[in-house]
Amino acid sequence: MTRALVLLLALLVSLPSVTRGQVVTLAGPTDVFAEDVPDDIGGQVLVKWSLSSEDHLAADGSRPINGYAIYRKVVPSALALESGAEAAAGPGELGFADDFDYEANQPVGTVPYSVSQFLDENVEPDVAYMYGIAATGPGGTYSPVSSAAAPVIAKMEYINQGKLWFFIIMMIISIVIVYFVFYAKRGGKIKVRPIAGLEAVTEAVGRSTEMGKPVLFVPGILDINDIQTVAGITVLSNVARTAAQYDAELKVPTARSLVMTTARETVEAAYLGEGRPDAYNEDNIYYLTDEQFGYTAGVQGAMVREKPAACFYMGAFYAESLILAETANSIGAIQIAGTAMPSQLPFFVAACDYTLIGEEFFAASAYLSNDPEQLGSLKGQDLGKVIAAFLLILGCLLATLATVVPASKPIRVAELYIKNNVLGEDGLVPNELKIAVLDGELNRLMEADQDAQPAIQEGGN
Amino acid sequence: MTKIDPDQIKVILATDCGSTTTKAILIQYVDGEYRQTHRGEAPTTVEKPFADVTMGVVNSVTEIGELAGRQLVGDDGRIITPATDTAGCDIYISTSSAGGGLQMMVAGVIAEMTAASAKRAALGAGSIVMDVIAANDGRRPHDQIQRIRDLRPDMILISGGTDGGTADKVVQISELVAPAKPQPRFGSDYSMPIIYAGNKDARDAVSEVFSEGGFDLQIVDNLRPVLERENLGPARDKIHDIFLEHVMAQAPGYDKLMGWTGAPIMPTPGAVGDILQTVARIQDINVVGVDIGGATTDVFSVFDKTFNRTVSANLGMSYSISNVCAEATMPNVLRWVPFDMNERELRNHVKNKMIRPTTIPQTKEALMFEQAVAREALRLAYKQHKEFATTLKGVQQQRTVGDTFSQQTSGQTIVNNMALDLLVASGGVLSHAPRMHQTAMMLIDAFEPEGVTMLAKDSIFMMPHLGVLSSVHAKAAEQVFDRDCLVYLGTSVCAAGQPKPGKLCFKYELTGDKTDSGEITGGEMSLLPLDQGETGTITLSPARGINLGEGPGKKVQRTVHGGTVGLILDGRGRPLALPEDRSSCQSTVQKWLNALEVYVEEAQAVGV
Repeated sequence: MTRALVLLLALLVSLPSVTRGQVVTLAGPTDVFAEDVPDDIGGQVLVKWSLSSEDHLAADGSRPINGYAIYRKVVPSALALESGAEAAAGPGELGFADDFDYEANQPVGTVPYSVSQFLDENVEPDVAYMYGIAATGPGGTYSPVSSAAAPVIAKMEYINQGKLWFFIIMMIISIVIVYFVFYAKRGGKIKVRPIAGLEAVTEAVGRSTEMGKPVLFVPGILDINDIQTVAGITVLSNVARTAAQYDAELKVPTARSLVMTTARETVEAAYLGEGRPDAYNEDNIYYLTDEQFGYTAGVQGAMVREKPAACFYMGAFYAESLILAETANSIGAIQIAGTAMPSQLPFFVAACDYTLIGEEFFAASAYLSNDPEQLGSLKGQDLGKVIAAFLLILGCLLATLATVVPASKPIRVAELYIKNNVLGEDGLVPNELKIAVLDGELNRLMEADQDAQPAIQEGGN
Repeated sequence: MTKIDPDQIKVILATDCGSTTTKAILIQYVDGEYRQTHRGEAPTTVEKPFADVTMGVVNSVTEIGELAGRQLVGDDGRIITPATDTAGCDIYISTSSAGGGLQMMVAGVIAEMTAASAKRAALGAGSIVMDVIAANDGRRPHDQIQRIRDLRPDMILISGGTDGGTADKVVQISELVAPAKPQPRFGSDYSMPIIYAGNKDARDAVSEVFSEGGFDLQIVDNLRPVLERENLGPARDKIHDIFLEHVMAQAPGYDKLMGWTGAPIMPTPGAVGDILQTVARIQDINVVGVDIGGATTDVFSVFDKTFNRTVSANLGMSYSISNVCAEATMPNVLRWVPFDMNERELRNHVKNKMIRPTTIPQTKEALMFEQAVAREALRLAYKQHKEFATTLKGVQQQRTVGDTFSQQTSGQTIVNNMALDLLVASGGVLSHAPRMHQTAMMLIDAFEPEGVTMLAKDSIFMMPHLGVLSSVHAKAAEQVFDRDCLVYLGTSVCAAGQPKPGKLCFKYELTGDKTDSGEITGGEMSLLPLDQGETGTITLSPARGINLGEGPGKKVQRTVHGGTVGLILDGRGRPLALPEDRSSCQSTVQKWLNALEVYVEEAQAVGV
């Protein structure tokens, strides 16, 4: 009996690496290092390590290591502050215990074999974390947990250095907008290219007056929360003002009740502004149905019955665009359309007298109102488009040159800078690592050229 | 008036009764063609104490008769018709602008549509349009009524609505006119003529509005039956009829004069328009004519057979000279003067000219200043003309997907300087300039013709006579217009685009009666000799971006005609831009003036 007890004791002593049913047999990763991800709100930590010495294919084709489990624990901040001193002496009390319970502690993440980094995106800012990595193998085998050299505290940065270029461009555009707003307010002239579709509003309404027929305004089929509908209502305001001046009858069938309400208020304000509240008729702005083709049929019916002399389509349109435009064309109406739906534009262009295309439609408000704030904003946005177009052209040019002259370092660096710094998130200063990689590539190219040179000369001789 | 066989007309007598002078010309059939042989003039006698326009007519015709050795006025004081070998004429015709010409007010529903058409009809008939009343002219009804009441037009033209279109608005316009009870200029027993040329469905309602109040309502076809088409003929004819029946009948002596004429008396500007249209039609060319007077400037144009006329009421060289300086601004006037001038002295000069309209420049400097003012008056008048001479508004467009990025509104100007073939000048400052070169330079600077354009002037203001003649004998009118009416100044070859100063603008090679070749650089002008009656073929090779008629950079070959000035090559580019800096501007203008020998003394010019 005594001998049996001694044998059991000896067995227990001889199995120190098996803790609570887990077999710790694998070689762990080394050089574990955790760092705060820069330029964020303090929610991310990047953990890196050197792969385990067993992280490779065995002779029999099997893999001793399936992946790595990343563990994390919160450590007191005060201790973390001292971590620098402790780092030299090892993790000490900040690290993971030798009898670490792999099953009781859920890893914050796992990565497959051959991967040597992990981005932890679920950390709290200003909290000290100690990271540990354990290699995992088949059959529940683990390596000991390799602790990071020091705890890490994720910090929130107020300026995202990587987006400094974005910030600079935004600032330029904003300053330009503000400048032009003040410039316009001081009486400076901001030239807006004549937009035929908007110039023709008076003509279309005048035609209605001369012919004694109504003006039909269709504000699209989407609700008021769609930006195109809002832009359409802006144009409606102008059309209503002109209709009030010219004493033309304005009819607005809508597909949404909220659009109807907005349109009524807009038209009423326009008539009031022109001193013609008596000419405003609320019943001329009416709701038909939310159904796309029910609405289309209703508008078509109004067109055929009342034969309006001018039809406006300003808003979001789908398949009904051509049906409406063709019907109005058949009754001899002047038609002016405006939409940002690319698929419907060709139909409107072909069937209507005038079409506002995308940006023109959204610029209508500034164009019609001549309001200095809107005009200044329009001008500033135009500058933004010019900058974007310039970068696009420059980028294309550099990319092409980099392909044609791959050995030219200035071109390659400029391309890299445009791509990674101006358009990417590398910030203002070129990334030294990427420049070093580029240098290496260029050196290889030069060496290849030098190797090829004698061969050519020989061939030439 | 009896119908006259044009082939039987060999002697034509024509007069133009102006406000101050009655001008008469005699046209005779000589050597197989019609030529203007003699001219005479006498003061107009429409005002008291004479109060008989025929007295001035007889005086001017008597002068011609003495010059021609032909008795034109009989013992009874009437013009002798038909002609015999030694006396009389086959037909006597006349125009009139005495007493301020024909003054009209027009009204329409929409200012840019039916009201614009009504204005075109009135201007085309030779009237001065005093005001345009429209539903959208921005005035309140009481302001409109007050304005109508204040005006004293000879007649009113009302239009509005397409056929089957709005009737309410037309009636509303009529209801503005009727209660205003506008009074005519002449005669207390004269009923105000109203021409209605609007929606045919509104005729009854309009008739009812004007049934009381002493109006003489005349209804003609709608001048805009559909918005896509103008029908100005019936309204213009009715204006002429009323001009004769009512307006002229009220003017002293005109009833007698109307009995003498073999064709209806026409308003002078209407007759000028007619001859330009006739010439444009017969020669298949585009023509612009200008008549700059003391108070107004008339511009006529025929482009692609469409005639337009505008009267710039406040642009003239005497009564309106202050307005020209105010509208154009003094710096713009002075940019044409190649030396410094004292602005205070200039203002005195301008005011002096305004209160003493018959003053003529006494010094070269004064002449240069006056011609600078003329340039600006002509430029502004032509600008107004371009804005008025447009395609019809409110017209449905036909589009294709190809038009996506090139959509244009209707109502674009039809005046195209590149397509202009003939530019005709008349009026004191142009016709009586000491040198023809000055006339040519003023025309080029003010009108900025492009490509190859013939320049001419109506030396003795014969166009009104020929205009009325064209209605009875178009061939005679065209022949006299071509041979005697116009003094051809030469041909201008003007580059459109923006050539770089000192760089090549175009190369030229002239063959024919004169030969020459060379280059014109940006900003340069040059004058090549090509005398009256001489012709040549010029081949032009413009630099990139420069258009001389066939498109930017494309070679052009044209036949050019000479004149008293010659062949003018203009490499200044269009639109014409003068340097902002005053001294630089002066030297540039001086260079151009020297190149065209504009102010060279006559003695030097002929090499004496």
